[in-house]
Amino acid sequence: MSPLGHKLLRDIRTQRAQFIAVTVTIFLGVTLFAASYDSYQNLTASYESTFTDFRFANLTMSGGDVEEFAEAARAEEGVESVVVRTVADIPLRVGGLKLLGRVVGMPADTQPAVNRVSVASGAYLATQEPTAVLVEEHMADHFELVPGSSFEILSSRGWQSFTVGGVASSPEYIWPARDRQDLITAPDNFGVAFVTEAQARELAGVTGPTEAVVYYTDGLDNPELSESLLTAAAEAGATMRYTRDEQPSNAALSEDLKGFEELAVFFPAMFLAAAAMATYVMISRLVQAQQPHVGVLLANGFTRRQVLRHYLGYGIVPGLMGALPGALAGVVLARVITGFYTEMLSVPTTLIQFYPATLVGGVLFGLVTSLIAAAAPARRAARLAPAEAMRGSAPTGGGHPSLPERLIPPLRRLPIRWRMALRGIERNPRRSLFTVLGVMLSLMLVLVSWGMLDTIVRLMDRQFIEIQREDATVYFTAPVGTADVQGLQLVEGIAAAESVLHLPVVLTADGRYETTLVTLDSGTVLHQFFDEDGTRRSLPDDGLLVGRALRDLVGVAEGDPVQVAIGGIAVEARIAGFIDEPLGSLAYAARGYAEKVLGSTLPATAALIAYDPGVEVQEVRATLVELEAVAAFEDAKAMYDTMQRFMVFFYVFVGVMLVFGGAMAFALIFSAMSVNIAERTREVATLLAVGTERRQISRMITAENMAVALVGIPLGLGVGYLAAKEAMASFNSDLFTFDLYIRPSTLVVSALAILVVALLSQWPGLRALGRLDIARIVKDRSL
Amino acid sequence: MAVSLTNVWKTYGEGATAVHALAGVDAEIPAGQFTVILGPSGSGKTTMLNLIGGIDDVTSGDLVVEDVKLTGLAPDDRTAFRRSTVGFVFQFFNLIPTLTAAENVELVANLTMHDGAQRAAEVLDQVGLGDRLDHFPSMLSGGEQQRVAIARALAKSPPVLLCDEPTGELDFETGRLILGLLRQVNRDLGQTVLLVTHNAAIGEMADRILRLRSGEIVEDRHNPEPIDAEELIW
Repeated sequence: MSPLGHKLLRDIRTQRAQFIAVTVTIFLGVTLFAASYDSYQNLTASYESTFTDFRFANLTMSGGDVEEFAEAARAEEGVESVVVRTVADIPLRVGGLKLLGRVVGMPADTQPAVNRVSVASGAYLATQEPTAVLVEEHMADHFELVPGSSFEILSSRGWQSFTVGGVASSPEYIWPARDRQDLITAPDNFGVAFVTEAQARELAGVTGPTEAVVYYTDGLDNPELSESLLTAAAEAGATMRYTRDEQPSNAALSEDLKGFEELAVFFPAMFLAAAAMATYVMISRLVQAQQPHVGVLLANGFTRRQVLRHYLGYGIVPGLMGALPGALAGVVLARVITGFYTEMLSVPTTLIQFYPATLVGGVLFGLVTSLIAAAAPARRAARLAPAEAMRGSAPTGGGHPSLPERLIPPLRRLPIRWRMALRGIERNPRRSLFTVLGVMLSLMLVLVSWGMLDTIVRLMDRQFIEIQREDATVYFTAPVGTADVQGLQLVEGIAAAESVLHLPVVLTADGRYETTLVTLDSGTVLHQFFDEDGTRRSLPDDGLLVGRALRDLVGVAEGDPVQVAIGGIAVEARIAGFIDEPLGSLAYAARGYAEKVLGSTLPATAALIAYDPGVEVQEVRATLVELEAVAAFEDAKAMYDTMQRFMVFFYVFVGVMLVFGGAMAFALIFSAMSVNIAERTREVATLLAVGTERRQISRMITAENMAVALVGIPLGLGVGYLAAKEAMASFNSDLFTFDLYIRPSTLVVSALAILVVALLSQWPGLRALGRLDIARIVKDRSL
Repeated sequence: MAVSLTNVWKTYGEGATAVHALAGVDAEIPAGQFTVILGPSGSGKTTMLNLIGGIDDVTSGDLVVEDVKLTGLAPDDRTAFRRSTVGFVFQFFNLIPTLTAAENVELVANLTMHDGAQRAAEVLDQVGLGDRLDHFPSMLSGGEQQRVAIARALAKSPPVLLCDEPTGELDFETGRLILGLLRQVNRDLGQTVLLVTHNAAIGEMADRILRLRSGEIVEDRHNPEPIDAEELIW
């Protein structure tokens, strides 16, 4: 190795703590990138592979003339298969527990050409086993159903018993969503059974198929074909039609994938920016301290290019040392995440692949980041004039009262240590700026993660506590009158019961949107409505309240007319206002208004229930499900609890991000503050020489460092809030509305946490004060 | 005696690599004496000054400064000693760039008194910088910066003033001015001054000259007729 190589390595060894901090930051950034990007790629590949293996429909339509649509679809170029089938929402009963169910018709003995299933245990549907059906995996897992178990399906002849012939997973229910407006379902409340087509028709009481599913050539996306088929479906009177992207389960998974994609860009970018700043600060200081050495090198014939290369080395070494293991760790971590994720979601096909581009990309990102950071100080070193560099100069630096002192002259009468702290901010503006940026980035990282958690907790509370105020919803076997709903209040333990009618509708104005019209009692207290500004409003008697996403999707404003298509009927209604609901984009109408618009008395298909205080919930539920008229029972708390269970992942995620954010803050602030302290070595030694106590000096340095950190706190809170808002907004769709909510305590705790990290990060430097060789330092010209 | 060194050794390293910076030095320096310590690089003169100033530890021997035995003194006591007994003037001034001249002095004055600001103004006036109180170091010439450093050293009124190559960074004229100032302080305030330099000419203004070579005192000469600083030529 060349002498310069030895110098490089020895310099790094001398300042190992700072180099380790930079290396760790690069490692974390590259690990995050590789882990999240490979997870994204693995999951995308797993989903894609599942979609191809199980011939997941590119387009689905239901309602209207299904056969006519199927005929038209088969004639389209680019269509590989079209399958018609019967899909019906029919209540299920498992061990006395009634729940909303879905029955999906499949051909016996052979998998369908579209939307196949993966049989995890037991056997596929067979003609010779007419009572054996397949149960979707989520439901089977929840109710511990295995081949041989039995459960019931409600048919027109009453509850019919079936045997579980097998447990299956399906590309349609990787995320077990009931429909686009009801993406979050508790396994206690919703399950899917795959039965033979004949059984499905019998159970649904229909004579023909209710749904058509289309698979394009090789399953590839074809927007033009989709457009044409969607038009054909509308012409065939479809009440529901959607592409693969819009399919409920896939739409929910896409939100997840989006999260990974965002992770792969946003968080690594922050880490690498932090690493770049720390590298820049560290190498700048090194070049400044080694000016005489550079002068000697140049004077002795080293070329400027050699000097440039040498100082770039101080970036390349930590860059490579962080990026190489980071990329490898990320790739390994991605395999673990993908495996865990696909297993948790029961994705039929899991594809874990090695993507060399991620590895190379990760290493390059780390390396390029540190090279960019090293470039400016390295160039500065290479451009030094040898004579001047060798001569050096006693470091006096600039000096002037700080900006606050200039603006508020009485501040000039502060104790000297406070004036020193204030002036320290402007002493090395670039480094102060980087320290401030470091604090900002760290706060941003923490707030984006924690903000996500706060927002979801808040939205769940908003949805399941403030908006849906019912304790449960019961679904009836057949539409009932409002008087029947009132009758439920006679059941012991029930305080209130309100009628609900769910109608699949298509809203059309400038745009078209398929949703559910929910009619409620006009004075409903079990469902609350909130304006976009968060104020509570009542259900109007002269129009519809619709989710705010429909403003753009349907192209309507308050007061505008909108066409409402229900089955084959189309009527005109008025938009009375837009509401803020986190989940879905539903339309709401007061029963009276809906009856006026539709011109008929409307029944109820469900009832919202509120319990008496202190009631034994299981007893009420048991009583209700015993009622003949009650087809299914949906426990609002179960939904909430399901969400809370998912929250565990968020807590882990936020916890990891807090640790990462803390590590990043530590590395960056440590680098800046170490340099800050190193640059004051002569001053500190002088103060020690004249008899100042070490703790007094520590306090002075701490005050100075904290003053810089404090400048970053409000900026970090502001930028972090905006970044978190932007991050949450990227998840917004007609299915989810994520308005950022950050608790004030989160802001306070985050700021305090970063300040504590800043305090801790200067500890090694302050400890080093105790080891200062005062005698040497006060004589050393180079410091 | 202001300073008493008895068989003082200062050794760096161990065994075969041991270097004796001071090898059995004996010296008695009375209060109020202006002593110049001469010697080539590596002779041990700065080491001797650092030991007397309590910023370095003797390896063996006895070192007493203003009745404080420094040998084996605990770190906190050493800090207290430096605070009360010695003032330093360094070659590179070592001023804090973000503090004005007055603030640099006040910072140190505050260590031993309440009204450091007034004391700072007094001593800066004493060194001829009464009109430069609010100037930052970058706004002062090298000589002025060194005068601020002297004022800082005087601020605590220490009985012993230790100056390590105080003219090393200054031009000839400014160097003579600074030396004159130090001599004046020594005469007016009665402080013991020990000044380290490799410039033999400066010895002519001292009451006493100690010459070191390889860690030993090779010459201890009293100067019965010290000349004024402005008469020095080198």
